[in-house]
Amino acid sequence: MVFPTDAILRPGGQSGPVWKKTPCRLCGVGCGLLVAIENGRAVAVKGDPDSPVSKGLACVKGYNSVQALYGRDRLAHAKVRRDGALVEVPLNETLDLVARRLRETIEQHGKNSVAIYGSAQWTIPDAYIASKLFKGALGTNNVETSSRLYAGSAMAGLQSSFGLDGGIGCYEDIDHADVFVLWDVNLAETDPVLFSRMLDRRRVNPAVRIIEVATRTTRTSYAVDHSLLHAPHTAPAIANGICNEIVARKWVQQEFVSQHVAFKRGKTNIGDGLANDTLIAEDATDSTWREFVAFLADHEPERAEKLSGVSAASIRWLASLYGDPLRKVMSVWGREVNQDVRGTWMNNLLYNIHLLVGKVASPGNSPFATTGQPCGGSAVNDAGSLTHTLPRGVVQNEEDRRRAGDIWGVPVERIDPQPAAPLLSMFRRLERGDIRFLWILGTDPMVSLPNLNRYRQAATKGDRFIVVSEAYPTPTTDVADIVLPAAMWLEREGIYANVERRAQHFERMVAPPGEATGDAWQMIEVARRLGFEKLFPYQPGGHVEQIWEEYRRFHQEPQDALPAASELRANPGVMWPYVAGRETRWRYNSAYDPAADGTHGAFDFYGHADHRAWIWLRPYEPPAESPGGEYPFWLTTGAVLEHWGAGSMTQRIPTLHHALPHAYVEINREDASELGIRNRETIRLVSRRGSIELETRIDYRSQPPRGQVFVPSFDEARPVNRLMLDACCPLSGQPDSSKCAVRVERLPTRSGT
Amino acid sequence: MSAPDRHPAALVLGLFMVGSAVTAAAALSVAVKRVAAGREAVPVLIAVNLVAAPEEPIRAEAQVFRTTPAILAIEPATRRERSAHPRTLKTVRFLRAFPGAPPRIPHALTPEEFRTDACKTCHERGGFSQRFDAYVPVTPHPERGICLQCHAGEDSLMGVAIPIANPNARCPQCHGPSGGPPRADASLTWPTTVWPQVPLTTRDQNPPPIPHSLQFRENCLTCHSGPSAVAEIRTKHPERVNCRQCHVALDPEAEPFTRPLQDVAAVPGSAP
Repeated sequence: MVFPTDAILRPGGQSGPVWKKTPCRLCGVGCGLLVAIENGRAVAVKGDPDSPVSKGLACVKGYNSVQALYGRDRLAHAKVRRDGALVEVPLNETLDLVARRLRETIEQHGKNSVAIYGSAQWTIPDAYIASKLFKGALGTNNVETSSRLYAGSAMAGLQSSFGLDGGIGCYEDIDHADVFVLWDVNLAETDPVLFSRMLDRRRVNPAVRIIEVATRTTRTSYAVDHSLLHAPHTAPAIANGICNEIVARKWVQQEFVSQHVAFKRGKTNIGDGLANDTLIAEDATDSTWREFVAFLADHEPERAEKLSGVSAASIRWLASLYGDPLRKVMSVWGREVNQDVRGTWMNNLLYNIHLLVGKVASPGNSPFATTGQPCGGSAVNDAGSLTHTLPRGVVQNEEDRRRAGDIWGVPVERIDPQPAAPLLSMFRRLERGDIRFLWILGTDPMVSLPNLNRYRQAATKGDRFIVVSEAYPTPTTDVADIVLPAAMWLEREGIYANVERRAQHFERMVAPPGEATGDAWQMIEVARRLGFEKLFPYQPGGHVEQIWEEYRRFHQEPQDALPAASELRANPGVMWPYVAGRETRWRYNSAYDPAADGTHGAFDFYGHADHRAWIWLRPYEPPAESPGGEYPFWLTTGAVLEHWGAGSMTQRIPTLHHALPHAYVEINREDASELGIRNRETIRLVSRRGSIELETRIDYRSQPPRGQVFVPSFDEARPVNRLMLDACCPLSGQPDSSKCAVRVERLPTRSGT
Repeated sequence: MSAPDRHPAALVLGLFMVGSAVTAAAALSVAVKRVAAGREAVPVLIAVNLVAAPEEPIRAEAQVFRTTPAILAIEPATRRERSAHPRTLKTVRFLRAFPGAPPRIPHALTPEEFRTDACKTCHERGGFSQRFDAYVPVTPHPERGICLQCHAGEDSLMGVAIPIANPNARCPQCHGPSGGPPRADASLTWPTTVWPQVPLTTRDQNPPPIPHSLQFRENCLTCHSGPSAVAEIRTKHPERVNCRQCHVALDPEAEPFTRPLQDVAAVPGSAP
């Protein structure tokens, strides 16, 4: 008998879709989603109400994300370039070719002539296998991911201020904070669900204040309570001005500082990373409270006003919010802060503010760096896939090398103690010919690297062999010698971790097309062809769990213990450190963190040998390139809500593509009027490195202040990175790629006016 | 009902908040006395200070009872019978990539609206929009943060000036110069799953169960009653406000009930 309810739930007698949980594929918030699978296809999405991250909410990208699997030009077969054209070749044969070329390159040019550039959107097992293959089996540290491009300074900032990577607080801070300060982050578009949580907090408790410090007026500006506009790169001046005021008004939490904080000086005048190819080593000299106060005397709010454009009164007011002992403050920042020649310093400065007033590592008191990428960009997630890291710790550390040697089963001497130079240096070495073989997986550097023309030329030089693993044709596959078809999210099992240290598992739900294969498995196949079967004994189908459990062996201490795969399967994500069945939500806090030794008081900053967090004396230093002369405008770039990264997925999702089909340039209304530029007119932007033509939008979505233009960076057909500068933070290696100096040109019309 | 309705004689002018550091919740009601001053009654705020707002209610339960006059049924005599844009299941499905998806925005937005997320000015309470010659659909979740986070539009309609007065200029903006389906259509058909349906037999006999997920759609009246209700699913009894007293949501994963076999001897404390 067919019950009426059956007829409703399963119309036409079908079995109906099955809903399965997964983290979202896209940004670093890591919303929990439920995906409907029917007839071997992902057909619908809803927010997972059980997700502690998103509580049932999602954004337009998440809702439409499954459509990314079904673009018309999806790559299903391997291709090899012969006589200039890519021809289809069976996968096994192609993997043979990759392995052979890799081996030959090492034989002819040495082990450091090969490199792998993976993705901040890798799953953790992908990252782990890359590290094991290149660092453990082949013995080269030429392993890098695009995490460096988005989160390098955030990592270096945590490392220098606290001695350890990985965020301190969690999203639950949002439910406790009284004041939110957004530093240079258009949160409504970059982390929409996180921002919605803040708006929800304010709706339920209207005393909550949201303040932004920003370089232009955005969608976020219309939702916050106060917006302080400042010139690009000048946020460090504001941060030091705030510290100056906190000290002057005696809002410092002296007991906290004397018990838990140490002062350090580092190198100054560290340059812009253009001339040198290696990171500069930090030089930590002991300093004192008195020296710090004397240092701050140079950084009064009045000086910050001159540098930044934010009034001294506003800076003092912001300082009063930080200094108010009765208010919990959460600071949030992201890519624009990190992508700067002093990105690491700015991270330190934001921690300085929170440390001075004792507002750190407790519910609601939270300096919080978002990084935008699904793998969060913190040490556990990169799993050893950066040029200096191992699955735990760094290559320079003997104990960390020994542990890796033991777990991997390789002689410890094979692991190189000298880190390779990161990201841009890697591409410059490709340019020079020091690197001859580069394997790029799951990222689109031919859209996302600054000073794009230079690195595209590097990749297309003769005798550079480029292998690209991708799901769709992109400007990066255009320069490939071999293209390997990649299985995407949901087509393979995986584990992501988001910015609040939450590892989330998703099972394989649908079959990948043709011969498309997951990144980790591609690397395992190549490793076996190189003779490393014993090091990579994993079974297909079960390999993700096997790799995760092997990776867990690196993390057995309470300060970074990982949950078992079974726990990840059963829950909508589990935060690490995970100790004795409990998540550590606030690290370094003796009440919440089992790794915190109670003998140090309420907090134990065990990342440093002195068990203290460090306040670094970081002065203001000018930007790498400033507007002036022939290039009088700032050009800033960034993300928009509808698109993700370099757009290879979201541009193929119809709803998102139709919502925003191409990039544009936003210019201030008055500037446009002075230059005679009309809305929707095509104009040209020119920098010292390249030029681009774009449609103008005035008062469309964001409003740059006078002297600034903004271009979103998602559009491969209008790659703004041609214009951007490849300077970087000399401490973190993160490129200063979201701003540079340009001039704005009208195009001559047909009539010649 | 929401707080102000508990004090029908009071007029809420505003709430002044003390620093939220004080966490002890002593929520005082806000009331206003009309003080005669000369000829006019001047509202004066006398009590103030909502220190900590009440705990967030369970959305799935509380939203059902939220309503405004505009979304209750209006007497047919005062209701316009025709608008250019009646709302039907077909138009509803047209705007959604899959069942349960957030609908796309089918209409143009001025630059100001697009930038400042001003959707609630129309979509919170509904009513008739002269601008689009349509009854405005009411959102079941006005408390959500930023509408544009989930509801995307068609790029060519976002942030544009709208010629309101002249229908000859206004309609082609969305429908193109030769009329036809709105430009928000494009080629957005995408293989998805079937839409939930309530079969006829069930409709006539007893209160049909709710065939769709309640997430973000906890308030029934916004789609099932009022002038902007979806035509085929308009309820004949909107005045019965406790919808879920009779209409229940179904758990699609529930197996048919069977009684588990019990071995009497295995039940602790039972007779041997």
